[in-house]
Amino acid sequence: MKITFLKNLLMLGAFLCFGIIQAQEVSGTVSDASGPLPGASVVIKGTTNGTQTDFDGNYTLSDVQDGDILSFSYIGYKGQDVTVSGQSTIDVVLEEDAQALEEVVIVGYGSQQKKEITTAVTSVSSEDFNQGTVNDPTQLLQGKVAGLTIVNKGGDPNTNGTVRLRGISTIGGNQEPLVVIDGVLGGSLNNVDPNDIENITVLKDGSAAAIYGTRGSAGVILITTKSGKVGQPMQLTYNGQFATSSIANQIDIMNADEFLAAGGNDLGSDTDWIDEVTQTGYSHVHNIAAVGGTNDVSYRVSGNFRKLDGILYNTGFKQLNARTNLTARLFDDKLKIDFNSALTRRDSKYGLNEALRYAITYNPTAPVFGKDAPFPFSSGQYGGFFETLGLFDSFNPASIARQSENDGTTNTINYSMNFNYRLTDNLAANVNFATQNIKNNRSQYYPTTALYLGNAVSPTTRGLANFLTQETKFDLFEGFATYNNTIGDNISFTLTGGYSFQETDFNNVFFQLGDFPPGIQFDFRNNIESSQDLTEAGRIVANSDRRDGDRIVAFFGRLNATFDDAIYLNASLRREGSSRFGSENQWGLFPAVAVGADLNKYLDLNNVNLLKARLGYGVTGAIPPEVGLFATTYALNPGTSGQDGSSTGQGNRAPNADLKWEEKAELNFGIEFATERLSATLDLYTRNIDDFISLVNVDAALFGGISQRYENAGQLKTNGLEFTANYDAVKNDKFSYNTGLIFSTYKTTLEKNPQGDQVIANLGAPGQNNTSVILVREGEEVGQIWGPVFTGEVNEAGTPQLEDVNGDGTVVTDQGKALDDDVDFAVLGKGLPDFELGWTNQITFGNWDVNAFFRGAFGHSLVNTFRAFYEPIIGSQSSYNFMNTKYARSDIKTAQFSSYYVEKADFFRLDNLSVGYNWNIDSDHVKDIRLSLSGQNLFTITGYSGTDPEPVLQDFGDNNSANGEIVITDGAVDTGTANPLAPGIDRRNSYFTQRTFTLGLNINF
Amino acid sequence: MKQLFKITCLSTMLIAFSCTDLEDELEDSFTEDQQFSNNGVSVGGGDGGGGALLAPFARLRAGTAGNTGFFATNTVTGDDVAVTQKGGDWFDGGIWIQLHRHTYGSTHDRVNELWNDAYAGIGECNTSLSNSLNANQTAQVRALRAYFYWRLMDGFGRVKIITSPGADAPQSSRQEVFDFIESELLDVLGISAVTASMNLSGSDLNTEISNYRINQYAALGILAKLYLNAEVYTGTPRWEEAQWAAEYVLDNSPYQLCADGCSVPNQAKRPSVASDPETLEGYAAVFAPNNENNPEIIWAAEYDQTGAGGMNFNMMTLHGPSQLTWGLDVQPWNGFVVLEEFYNSFEDDDLRKEANFLQGPQTDFNGDPLLDYAADDGDLVIDYKPNINELEPNAWRDGGVRMKKFSFALFQRQDMNNDYPIVRLGDVHLIRAEAMARAQADWNMALPDVNALRDRAGLDPLASLTADSFLAERGKEMFQESSRRIDLIRFGKYEDTWWEKTDSDPNKRIFPIPQAQIDASNGSLTQNPGY
Repeated sequence: MKITFLKNLLMLGAFLCFGIIQAQEVSGTVSDASGPLPGASVVIKGTTNGTQTDFDGNYTLSDVQDGDILSFSYIGYKGQDVTVSGQSTIDVVLEEDAQALEEVVIVGYGSQQKKEITTAVTSVSSEDFNQGTVNDPTQLLQGKVAGLTIVNKGGDPNTNGTVRLRGISTIGGNQEPLVVIDGVLGGSLNNVDPNDIENITVLKDGSAAAIYGTRGSAGVILITTKSGKVGQPMQLTYNGQFATSSIANQIDIMNADEFLAAGGNDLGSDTDWIDEVTQTGYSHVHNIAAVGGTNDVSYRVSGNFRKLDGILYNTGFKQLNARTNLTARLFDDKLKIDFNSALTRRDSKYGLNEALRYAITYNPTAPVFGKDAPFPFSSGQYGGFFETLGLFDSFNPASIARQSENDGTTNTINYSMNFNYRLTDNLAANVNFATQNIKNNRSQYYPTTALYLGNAVSPTTRGLANFLTQETKFDLFEGFATYNNTIGDNISFTLTGGYSFQETDFNNVFFQLGDFPPGIQFDFRNNIESSQDLTEAGRIVANSDRRDGDRIVAFFGRLNATFDDAIYLNASLRREGSSRFGSENQWGLFPAVAVGADLNKYLDLNNVNLLKARLGYGVTGAIPPEVGLFATTYALNPGTSGQDGSSTGQGNRAPNADLKWEEKAELNFGIEFATERLSATLDLYTRNIDDFISLVNVDAALFGGISQRYENAGQLKTNGLEFTANYDAVKNDKFSYNTGLIFSTYKTTLEKNPQGDQVIANLGAPGQNNTSVILVREGEEVGQIWGPVFTGEVNEAGTPQLEDVNGDGTVVTDQGKALDDDVDFAVLGKGLPDFELGWTNQITFGNWDVNAFFRGAFGHSLVNTFRAFYEPIIGSQSSYNFMNTKYARSDIKTAQFSSYYVEKADFFRLDNLSVGYNWNIDSDHVKDIRLSLSGQNLFTITGYSGTDPEPVLQDFGDNNSANGEIVITDGAVDTGTANPLAPGIDRRNSYFTQRTFTLGLNINF
Repeated sequence: MKQLFKITCLSTMLIAFSCTDLEDELEDSFTEDQQFSNNGVSVGGGDGGGGALLAPFARLRAGTAGNTGFFATNTVTGDDVAVTQKGGDWFDGGIWIQLHRHTYGSTHDRVNELWNDAYAGIGECNTSLSNSLNANQTAQVRALRAYFYWRLMDGFGRVKIITSPGADAPQSSRQEVFDFIESELLDVLGISAVTASMNLSGSDLNTEISNYRINQYAALGILAKLYLNAEVYTGTPRWEEAQWAAEYVLDNSPYQLCADGCSVPNQAKRPSVASDPETLEGYAAVFAPNNENNPEIIWAAEYDQTGAGGMNFNMMTLHGPSQLTWGLDVQPWNGFVVLEEFYNSFEDDDLRKEANFLQGPQTDFNGDPLLDYAADDGDLVIDYKPNINELEPNAWRDGGVRMKKFSFALFQRQDMNNDYPIVRLGDVHLIRAEAMARAQADWNMALPDVNALRDRAGLDPLASLTADSFLAERGKEMFQESSRRIDLIRFGKYEDTWWEKTDSDPNKRIFPIPQAQIDASNGSLTQNPGY
């Protein structure tokens, strides 16, 4: 898009310079490899006599004399000079200039020359994206940007990964980076098909993100979608992918024989439960795009279809996405109008991850079907499936996977219009209007024969249906103006000033009912009038929420200045207000300043193309996670009978009228270095989060028994280092080998915590409630796993013996004493990795190309909760399966959390290997074809015994709403509240990791 | 200049059109903006009748008859009920073991709940009192608040007395909190002291029977309980006042022991099981799911499966398969069990034994044996035997008889319907008996009241009593009514040894102030001794 834009500016410039001089006439065509280039400039060197090519790439230039040198140029291409010696026709073919292409980088509210960038910004183009089956745009970047961590544990196709830039950016506020799609902020990533993305730019440090204020506090991901070019004949491309996925890794459990040998309860069969609930997932993806343009209008229209299976039986999604990018120019190109729209419908089958969880713990000698039970069993009541009735938290996984439905449809619509009007050559005004609507319809159905949540065991009340509708409407209006000029010869500057208005309106409606007629195989979601709950008081659960007028308003200004074409200054200021604060504290002021210097201009080192140093400082803010936390609310207590009336009582949360902006100040120092073959970037940063917003204990006596509320509570500091290097080891016409390395590390310390020390992150049921495994202590690192140390000895009763850590002769390992001086607890590991690595290798050999991408994280540990709960051979648990990892010990007979269940989870993984072949066909209909084969998650080197050694960056608690997925159980809608202070816990809701092979077909017509 | 003009124009336009309105009206929460006086909704005042008191009295439900707060801390610390660790199940970081062994500390969740629930009730009362209530409503809310303070003072000793929303106060001594509770109750009763001949005609409380609200007898019942334990709380015994308060209720109130002829239909009667009785009689009827009009209940926390949830004894105590006995909605959690020695202390023909406990081999809805195919011991029939192998770590899953005083109903949901008595006439009898006996230093003075209750339980009268035998009688009568901890303390037996409990630290009579609260109080709360 930006190239088109510049090309048009040039075209315009050429018009302005156009003059008529009588002389010899030369004409010809300027083209590139793919066809004529309209708007290319042709000038007689040393004069102002020039023209530009028309729509078909043709030009005619008069007043040309022999010996004149015609200079052909076009942005993004290498220039060419041709000396005139009598020819009347001169045709040239321009070559693309790879370096020039990279030179413009999109930043907030505008773009900048790459050399002028003074902040930590990384730009990744489509050719460097991760290959294979990628459904979530952020996965294109996994391991490609130093400091950007993307974790999608297991890779459930229906959940988005957790995205973190430089670790923790806030405690109580929004953790996810801001997404800006084609200049429109706040867009949903799920509405962008990875195939439509041209480039992703990541603004990493505070000074870069500050222009986006609050929304940019966790970093900014700028996505540029592919668009048409002016004067480009229509082109059609097709991209297809065909993939299979299967389980790559699962935690080791006992088979029937091992289980019986360990004293398990024999139910007479031999069942591989994981096999019963999983499948090989077949997927296909199709993308068709038409791109082109005339002189005034350029466009790109694309349609995307995805159908994916998960590895869990009966899961996956089907998605249709369409995107239109249209650019029109009016009034001699002074007015440019961009109209972009995208719509996505995704029909998801989420399935129930509980099926995976119970597949691990279900008795391996239990039969799948009731008819195979070793005792009389009334299968009919359970849909033919066997159930171990009466056993706590034990459900036939096959019954869950095959009988219950968990579906959803998400409709996402975006459209945006941008008006850009150049008032003068120096001054341009921009108006942006965008709107987004996301509607999510979820429903779950547990038939009358399902024991799990369908209550099949009940003589009277069976079957359950849940319905949830959520709608988020987002409106954006932004206006800004840009003025640029020069002062003298050495100084040029750009001033930007503007206004931004964002409003979100959210509502949801939930209801739950059940008690459907038994004995009928029917999906009663579509016939809820059959529910007997309609006739019985207090059975139907219903609730609704509405958050209207959730607003952010901001005024911003920025100065970019360049001195001597080598020293760059960027300064910005944003004043921002949020309706989430009370009237006293609504506004915050967020400054940023950054300088950079092209040192090589002065040092002029041999063989060095670039040596740049830059320093940036920026302040961003974070807002509370909910609206209205400042306001006193009341609860309404309806009477139990109609005549009682109702009364209002105190609300169920403690308000905090003084809640104010959380501020994050970040200082970033970077060095960029490049030679012909090697390029490297180093960034060092330190960030300080002050007054972070967090749920804090308060004096319950003062707040009507409510013991927590949101307050500005403390201070968090992160120091980090990021390094990126790229090396063209071999580069010639036949063969090239490029290798790249990214490295990142950071350490986050809780500098101040008025709450005092705490232990958080409860392990959970069965039996390990009130077992908190993460230590939060002032002045220490975030994410320390804390607990007793296993000596390796087990007593006769099967209880693991714990170490007297402080050597005082008594072993104190009581959870209630976790913070006492005499407790024998130790730091058992850390949840956050010491460092992360990404290693890219690209090889081209003739028409072949090979891509191998390795990724790793080192130094982190994980609490393996599956082992902590199910590895001890507990006598009273002999009806549940046991874990059988390399750590399993038959002598441990008590489940007691200790160092034994905390494992180092360093890993190094071949994340992606792909091989492609290109055919240049150049027939009338087909230009070229590319065929590729990719494998994802091919092998992992790790000592971790769980399913996936990937770090867990935050904790959703021991419920099933991992990854923020919406889970509806027991009438409550749980979207999960993640705690970033509790990383490192591998909960029992993890999806199994999968390995995917993808065959890709790409045709350009 | 021209450019400057354009810039100015542009910026003026932008600012003129920009909206800076950040007012957020909360659409899904009730704020001061709502006109609660419209449409028959009362803001806790005047015209809503009983509705005005719904909010404060609803707070009584939290922790009173569930596996949390008040019930758990006052029950599992006693010598009658424990929560065993069944392998991986019910370890919960050791909190249940700590309650049994009296090794609880200041981060104990159940103890935190005891604190927070009481202050939630107090906060609600204070909010309610700041609205326009009539004299009777005000008196009820003040008495209710005094009761919540009694829970705090009984559990923690030194607490803050907060009497208006959000106003801080220093941590009072236990004596000061005692005095506050006493004076509030006396005030709403319209008297300056409890005497043998007191006249309550000046009281703002009335004498009408209203199970879920406070009348004069309910207030006297709380006061009697306060005086009975006065020596524990303040060092000064107040036996006579305890006796007079109880006696006034016994002499003047319309309440009666639920004995002969007092019965309700048995809601747990399985259609095809002939041995299930048609009705529940006497003692058993007082605590039945349909106990709402029982003549013995003076004041109760209202529980209902539809609109007033919070009682979940079925979930707490029953083993999973027992779901099939009554067709319960949800599979129970198999936690709370009765200690063998306590169960065995009941005489076999004590009707309370049958009423209080679920024991022996279990049957399903049709009366067929209830089987547990996952049984540890190869014996598939679920059989709640009194014997329990150990407290932890691998207690038998069907070991120990179960709590059934608040009995179950067919197709019971997770929340039960039984009302939970806060003040009931049976307890008032025992308070009078004990106060009189202690005042006169003669335990035989307690015989008439004790024998009245024994008679109702189908037992022969006793001829004599001692402190120990009185406490045993009280334990049988008051089982599962959150009374055991304070009774053991008052009889000096809280430091005794029972089952796996050997701790004898007298500091444990008072729970630790929650550490989180001390941390949050900016130094205005200090910890109790011994923690």
